[in-house]
Amino acid sequence: MSHLVSLDPRISRLGIPAEIDLNSDKTLSDQLSTFEVFHQKKEGAVYQHVGPVHANTPDLAFLFAKEQYSRRFTCTGIWVVPTSSISVTPNAEPGVNIYSILNFDHKFEEGTPVLFTVFHQKKRGAHHECMGEVTAASSDEALYHASLKYGESGPVVNVWIIPSEKITKSSAEDVEFWNTLSEKKYRDASVWRVMDKITKFKEEQKSGN
Amino acid sequence: MYGGGNIFEPTKLEELNAEDPIKLAAFEARILQGEKIEPNDWMPQMYRKQLIRMIEQHAHSEIIGALPEGTWITRAPGFRRKMAQMAKVQDEVGHGQLLYSAAETLGKTREEMINDLINGKSKYSNIFNYPAFTWADSAIISWLVDAGAIVNQMANAKGSYGPYSRALDRICAEESFHLKYGHDSVVHLATGSPKQRQMVQEAITRWWPPLMHFFGPSDKISAHTEILMRWKVKMASNDDMRQQFLDMYVPKIWELGMVLPDPLLCKNEETGKWDYTEPDWEEFKRVINGDGPCNKERLAVRKMAEENGAWVRRALQKPEAKYVTPLA
Repeated sequence: MSHLVSLDPRISRLGIPAEIDLNSDKTLSDQLSTFEVFHQKKEGAVYQHVGPVHANTPDLAFLFAKEQYSRRFTCTGIWVVPTSSISVTPNAEPGVNIYSILNFDHKFEEGTPVLFTVFHQKKRGAHHECMGEVTAASSDEALYHASLKYGESGPVVNVWIIPSEKITKSSAEDVEFWNTLSEKKYRDASVWRVMDKITKFKEEQKSGN
Repeated sequence: MYGGGNIFEPTKLEELNAEDPIKLAAFEARILQGEKIEPNDWMPQMYRKQLIRMIEQHAHSEIIGALPEGTWITRAPGFRRKMAQMAKVQDEVGHGQLLYSAAETLGKTREEMINDLINGKSKYSNIFNYPAFTWADSAIISWLVDAGAIVNQMANAKGSYGPYSRALDRICAEESFHLKYGHDSVVHLATGSPKQRQMVQEAITRWWPPLMHFFGPSDKISAHTEILMRWKVKMASNDDMRQQFLDMYVPKIWELGMVLPDPLLCKNEETGKWDYTEPDWEEFKRVINGDGPCNKERLAVRKMAEENGAWVRRALQKPEAKYVTPLA
């Protein structure tokens, strides 16, 4: 069987068969679970949702989160949370505060009170932002307490309630991870300056060099 | 980086008849007001389907687009350019991950998307089916393909779907480095020795036809996308984006004394638009359908990487771990 020949010698050396079978499906068995990632842009700023990662453990999720969401832009902290542990409200219509249409009339589940962290999305399209913590026996009850504590803080389209113990947080010494970014100037747009070269080139063309 | 010229499925307006008219009206009103649609909002099936298709193609383009440039990391001229090239390729793969996640919020798993890439069902930007023969090709990709991608992505970032817009805001911020780095690499060669200038000229000549294809078929022949424009899935017509690209970059290519291989290319003073030779859309279709110089290699390499990495993912599997759709 002939092998794939590429311009890239490393690919030629792999000995991939020249004819690949495109109709075969991959094994759909290795989908990892998902985690939501939050970051703190600078000291004192609120934690903000940045996006998900796929991982099998919070540790691995943290590693991927660091690569994916803080590789290029510095931050001072990262939190990761299993997506499955986040309770989500419906979305409110524009101009409506979501808390005002939620029904808190029922009796809440009983249990040991624990801490829950509350996130608000202030408008559609915005990132969810951390508001703080409430104590409750269930996420339902936590949402009720959140409505009392944060309901008047301004527009809210959507709320996330997370058991605080499910949040894996970067530690104080992890901040050093992000101190190295200034050494990597070669990946900043601002260091690639071409105007001088172009101007010089044009002048040379004009003078017939 | 990313290819524009998404291949949308023809929209079948009768599909809309099955949708709840009241919900549909509220959905359209929201978009008209400039509000974003979020994952757990009601949305018509057609909106969901076309968005998945578009974001997925975008994600695949980032992953496959890393291949022609990745090839040049080991042979980049000088340590600084090698580091920058590596950072750029890493960015592109990261963009792929961000985009897969945005598409996942619509209900298609990342596994299904990767499967459809390697079994050939999903498309990616056609431009990556062409080879990067020399370092100058890599420089032209970094500069002009990324420039085209930015035109497209800046428009799409204003689209209606929240997770896609947020991913694009992040991506556009990184792309500005790619563009400047690519421009610098090209200017360095173009203001250098006659041999270096010849390298750039040859690369420009090679890449011009695929760059003209980049934004997709001419509006005259492309599928009707009015409804996708109304829903802010597609933000500008193929020809409008092509015009914008020509406006921004043809002068920058010409100022380097380079020649573009189209004798008709010029700005029409009357219309204010660029005239050009109609790109060969037959070639575009042929290459999209698998018959380009690198289609086979790109998919073979992706498939091999997927198969070679399977044991790692298997080792990471936890029986109790359950996949849930990411939130936003």
